Amino acid sequence: MNVLKSLSILLTTAILTMPGVLAAEDFSPSERATILSLGPWPPALVQDSGNRASGDLKAIEFGKKLFNDKRLSKDDQVSCADCHKPELAFTDGMALNEGYKKITRNTPAVTNLRWNNWFGWGGEADSLWAQSIRPILSRNEMAATPSGIRRVVINDPDLSCRFKATFNLDPAGLGKHELLVLIAKALAAYQETLVTDVTAFDHFRDALLAGDRNAMSRYPRAARRGLKIFAGSGRCTFCHFGPRFSNGEFSNIGVPFFVAKGKVDQGRYGGIRTLKRSPYNLLGKFNDDGTAKNTVRTQHVTQRHRNWGEFKVPSLRNVARTAPYMHNGSVATLADVVEFYSDLNEERLHTDGEKILRPLNLTDQNKTDLLAFLETLSSGLVTKPGSPDPFRECSSVSRQ
Amino acid sequence: MKVIYISAGLMLACFGSAVAAEPVQLIDTHIHYSHDAWDMLPPAQAIKVLRKAGLKQAFVSSSSDDGTQLLYGQAPDLIVPVLRPYRKRGELSTWFKDPTVVDMIADRLAKNTYAGIGEFHIFGDDANRPVMKSVVQLARKYGIFLHAHSDAAAVINIFKQNPQARVLWAHSGFAEPDEIGEMLTRFPNLRADLAFRNDHATSDSVDPDWRQLFLAHPDRIMIGTDTYAPERWYYVVEHADWTRAWLKDLPGDLAEKIAWKNAQALADWALKK
Repeated sequence: MNVLKSLSILLTTAILTMPGVLAAEDFSPSERATILSLGPWPPALVQDSGNRASGDLKAIEFGKKLFNDKRLSKDDQVSCADCHKPELAFTDGMALNEGYKKITRNTPAVTNLRWNNWFGWGGEADSLWAQSIRPILSRNEMAATPSGIRRVVINDPDLSCRFKATFNLDPAGLGKHELLVLIAKALAAYQETLVTDVTAFDHFRDALLAGDRNAMSRYPRAARRGLKIFAGSGRCTFCHFGPRFSNGEFSNIGVPFFVAKGKVDQGRYGGIRTLKRSPYNLLGKFNDDGTAKNTVRTQHVTQRHRNWGEFKVPSLRNVARTAPYMHNGSVATLADVVEFYSDLNEERLHTDGEKILRPLNLTDQNKTDLLAFLETLSSGLVTKPGSPDPFRECSSVSRQ
Repeated sequence: MKVIYISAGLMLACFGSAVAAEPVQLIDTHIHYSHDAWDMLPPAQAIKVLRKAGLKQAFVSSSSDDGTQLLYGQAPDLIVPVLRPYRKRGELSTWFKDPTVVDMIADRLAKNTYAGIGEFHIFGDDANRPVMKSVVQLARKYGIFLHAHSDAAAVINIFKQNPQARVLWAHSGFAEPDEIGEMLTRFPNLRADLAFRNDHATSDSVDPDWRQLFLAHPDRIMIGTDTYAPERWYYVVEHADWTRAWLKDLPGDLAEKIAWKNAQALADWALKK
């Protein structure tokens, strides 16, 4: 009997220590708390007080149409959707795209943006609508002009009709900047709705919260081990925290930021300068929030030495679908990203700049597990039931 | 009458622009030109950057020291060479355990001209290790300063080894103004640089606590950029502009000392000028 008991204990011990087996209780209390802080998903969608079109059904539909309209670019060459392709998780799958000229930054996904405070790799915009203006006017990207956009809208009966129906304003009676801003606000209203769905990780996180062992057991063991690294020894959640897996701020993780010999991408440093000079920032006249409560960040942000070469900490939702990686697309695959952090080049970091960063020195098993976890952050978009066409009054115009 | 007014206005405009053309002189005490910068920024280009920033001089230390020598060869009037004990930047957390570093430093000191040894990273009791002790002794032998990226404990340990040592405290130890003040008061041979710090000033005004520190120790503090990665060379000009902006918030003579005179005095002492 004793022999049987000993064998049983040995077998149990062997199973529990086998690679691949990890139970909920194997997360430390702090790891568990960290994991729970990565949800619930999605957070409540709060209307953007700076954008009168935020959450408006007509604006959302109008914005969707504009997002796919090549006429928002010079010579009708590219639409927003040509670089933010829905089938590629709203990225372009390229390291560096070329619009009208070579672009020096990787095209980011435009999902889950409503909860951001800063937009763009350098945080050049403080609202989603202002960020929507940037590529339209960028000479390297869509190369349009405010007057060109105005011409497109007022000369197209369908767009004019939709514009009037959305904003209750005649576009022909607006100046080029006023009209451009409203176009951008419709684009933002649409992009706010691009919210990714719950993932396998979210199911696990909710099961952990509920203590539902059965549901937890459906989460792959390798992913669980990877999650333990992510939330524990890897300290990834110092920057990639909260339900969006991002602190929404900027960091220098040692990715080179030369764009050519003798030229650097200043990152957040240049981003703050651009933001402060922009006529479209929240301190300007186009902010719809009469209380100005949404201006505090913009008022107080200042350039600091550390901002030189800092780039946005990206959300990790759908990270497995948004290759290549880093601000300049210089890391091809997610496995390469894991390698990057495993062998992090400390020489490129200031010892007092990014104190939390250190090489993770991962084993091959660690790398596989971390990758398995990151792959559980993928999902499609939250889909909503279709609504009747909000622009029925424009249908007769469209047929003309 | 109108003609006279216009002429007077033109004269004033010309005079005004002539005055404005003279930027405040600066000596940047915290520049590195390490191995990974040489390709993207060849020596002639690097010197151009320093001149574009309007620097009177720059204290340069590099991993390896060959970078410093490359720049010194190009512009001996501009470069104040400082000997870094790293052969490549990755040695910043291991150098003080490697006895061969002492041989390398001794060899270089015998061959070349240096105003100091540094910038090196040393913290706490590691400053009492044999390699660091040898570095302190070599600095004493050659009468040059030590550029230490250190906590207060390491600085204290260095002064225990040689109370006459002259130490330039990199980044002012990332300490608060009151602690920096205490250290400067306790160690008359301690100097402090402001590299990679923003807390002492915004673009146009000096923080009150720092102002008090500057006024209490007008001859001890100097400015620096810290080009710890090659891309940061393109920040030198921005940094110089920012520095000139906040220096305007200080009395003129104090601003001049922090801008360049304190650094000049340290370099002159070390280079026996």
